[in-house]
Amino acid sequence: MSEQQIKNLNINFGPQHPAAHGVLRLVLELDGEIVDRADPHIGLLHRGTEKLIEHKTYMQATPYFDRLDYCSPLNMEHSYVLAVEKLLGIEVPERGKLIRTLFAEIVRIANHLLNVPSYAMDVGAMTPMLWAFEEREIIFEFCEAVCGARMHMNYFRPGGVAQDLPDGLIERMREWAKKFPNYVRDMETMITRNRIFMQRTVGIGVVTPEQALDWAFSGPNLRASGFAWDLRKSQPYDSYEEMDFDVPIGKTGDCYDRYLVRVEEMHQSLRIIHQCLDRLEKVKGPVKTDDRKATPPSRHEMKRSMEALIHHFKLFTEGFHVPAGETYVATEAPKGEFGVYLVSDGTNKPYKCKIRSPGYVHLQAMDMMSKGHMLADIPAIIGSIDVVFGEIDR
Amino acid sequence: MKLTEDQVQALRDLGDHVAAIMPHDVIKTELAKQELIVTVQRGSIVKVLTTLRDDVNCKFSQLVELTAVDYPEREQRFDVVYCLLSMKHNQRVRVKLATDEATPVPTVTGVFSTAGWFEREVWDMYGVFFADHPDLRRILTDYGFEGHPLRKDFPLTGYVEMRYDEDQKRIVYEPVKLAQDFRSFDFLSPWEAMTSRWLPGDEKAAQQAEGKK
Amino acid sequence: MGVTSGNPHNPMNLIPPGTDQDLILKGVDETLKEKGFVLSSVDALVNWARTGSLWPMTFGLACCAVEMIHAYMPRYDLDRMGVVPRPSPRQSDVMIVAGTVTNKMAPAVRKVYDQMAEPRWVISMGSCANGGGYYHYSYSVLRGCDRIVPVDVYVPGCPPTAEALVYGIMQLQKKIRRTGTLRR
Repeated sequence: MSEQQIKNLNINFGPQHPAAHGVLRLVLELDGEIVDRADPHIGLLHRGTEKLIEHKTYMQATPYFDRLDYCSPLNMEHSYVLAVEKLLGIEVPERGKLIRTLFAEIVRIANHLLNVPSYAMDVGAMTPMLWAFEEREIIFEFCEAVCGARMHMNYFRPGGVAQDLPDGLIERMREWAKKFPNYVRDMETMITRNRIFMQRTVGIGVVTPEQALDWAFSGPNLRASGFAWDLRKSQPYDSYEEMDFDVPIGKTGDCYDRYLVRVEEMHQSLRIIHQCLDRLEKVKGPVKTDDRKATPPSRHEMKRSMEALIHHFKLFTEGFHVPAGETYVATEAPKGEFGVYLVSDGTNKPYKCKIRSPGYVHLQAMDMMSKGHMLADIPAIIGSIDVVFGEIDR
Repeated sequence: MKLTEDQVQALRDLGDHVAAIMPHDVIKTELAKQELIVTVQRGSIVKVLTTLRDDVNCKFSQLVELTAVDYPEREQRFDVVYCLLSMKHNQRVRVKLATDEATPVPTVTGVFSTAGWFEREVWDMYGVFFADHPDLRRILTDYGFEGHPLRKDFPLTGYVEMRYDEDQKRIVYEPVKLAQDFRSFDFLSPWEAMTSRWLPGDEKAAQQAEGKK
Repeated sequence: MGVTSGNPHNPMNLIPPGTDQDLILKGVDETLKEKGFVLSSVDALVNWARTGSLWPMTFGLACCAVEMIHAYMPRYDLDRMGVVPRPSPRQSDVMIVAGTVTNKMAPAVRKVYDQMAEPRWVISMGSCANGGGYYHYSYSVLRGCDRIVPVDVYVPGCPPTAEALVYGIMQLQKKIRRTGTLRR
């Protein structure tokens, strides 16, 4: 019998693929059904955000952060406004901090509501997705109530938030927060012990603790590998220090653990939301700093005071000047550590703004995670590391 | 996010410690805005990062960020910045080195695997070359892109744009032609910086200032 | 043209819902019962079929994709209009360009469009796809997806709400009804 020539097969996954969560192009080298090498090609959504930010004033640059990770827009803004505040050296009033914490958690839930069911859909479960999006719609309603936009809110500003909560929103949120655990329970009965789901995720894409450190994992993906590391706990910002919540961790670091961690995080976020709502009812006062060099005056004030009018005009044409310096500020975004490295040269525009997106590092580990797995496991792995191309490609 | 006095003192001690164990590699350590910045020699970055990772007092187990900053007026125009995180001591440190367009920087992919894509991005965006990198391709920009977009001398709108050509039945690249230019106003009005500049129309003061010199 | 009933000033020969429409429908019903067939123009029939099953390509590029998914999901439920997302360009009639088209992505967008079978339509969703929007001056963004594919309906917004997309799809249906399929 003559020797047969065997050649590995290269296939192209994407850029248009329903399970790619966006515009991922994955060049896979297959040995039969086994993945030998995965080479993600990114940049298909590279919009030059960092370059554009250098050409806009600090305030004009904030909306770019919404558009980075469009599943959790406010968490992206959070790092940026904290970085600007650090450079400016301004303090945020307590109510402003609480509102930020509240909305960061609301949006975290929205993010997990998008990721977990669509990940379940990639491995075959349709229904949770349909339920989750109704919950997301309710969250969008809250966002709309507070700033007028459903998705890209531009609500966090250097110095606080854009405006106070409208009347009655706290009650509406509380009502939703009471019902929401029912949804999560329903979803869990559908997925958690589901045979198909477990067969497709348990033991797939295992990341050992050493690998997680080496590849700089963060957020739920790191916690799934067994590290109790949460920036909200270890390096708290805004009101997180006063909040009482637990950090869920996984044991094995496979796709299934990453799912479990995210589901538990939704419960923990809900705890924080309840605490924020309780405290918001008591804490009254301004929602943004009264430093008029950083935040605009109220409409009412503007019509009566010349100085306020000048401040308003200057802020929205020239913007504020940030003292020269540099800082790296990271927050716990739903996907992991989202950092902003901001360099200022004393003018009204950032000199350099580097965005450290968690998805970028997680996707980089794709090759390590998928090696030796079947082709059909690729969508499960992509879904479980929660990638969004807005932030990866920037 | 505000650090306590103890944590700041710990960072200061860490800076001294790093400077003490690698006296020839570390140029200076400084504490700015409660963040530790260590400036090192270009050639010894691998050694510094390995030490920071393995030293018991450091244990910086994660490389969370690697980027560059462009200062075109400097002779060594690029600052390459490495941000490290120690989960054991809950500390962050920033390591910096300077380089120019021609001089390669030793790769740190051997120390932290995650540096792979970060270095590719810095190469793509700034054109800083990393020696011995296993796979130094462009990562974010278009296939066949020319130039390094985040350099300060690269125009915001780039050089080429594309459209579909009906005759050739394919996508063609053309020089950029904008219907309206990017409106960039110089808002750095002299009124705010009276100490360093003269008011418009106040030439007399300007002459006096000249005379004094 | 074939359809004689209805308002002659209405170019689409549409009869608004109400007693008039009910009467005609009842008439059609009775004819069907008596004779077993109805007479209509091929044009009207084809357009009815096309508007009733506009299958879009699921082509989420960026932020707008999330709002597009929201439009498919229960609250807005595009299924009720016969709009069912298809993962393959060969099966789809309409491409919703949802998000920023970058220079790197543009050839792929065009390829997907080329693979779609005639008749095909394009909805440009969001300001990035319409004309670059917030990223207009970027070095890597295509200034409007109409540079590479012919667009039928533009939906403005950043991102457009799910309602806006539903409205855009209804506008496209209107446009299809207005177009002659045989006479052109």
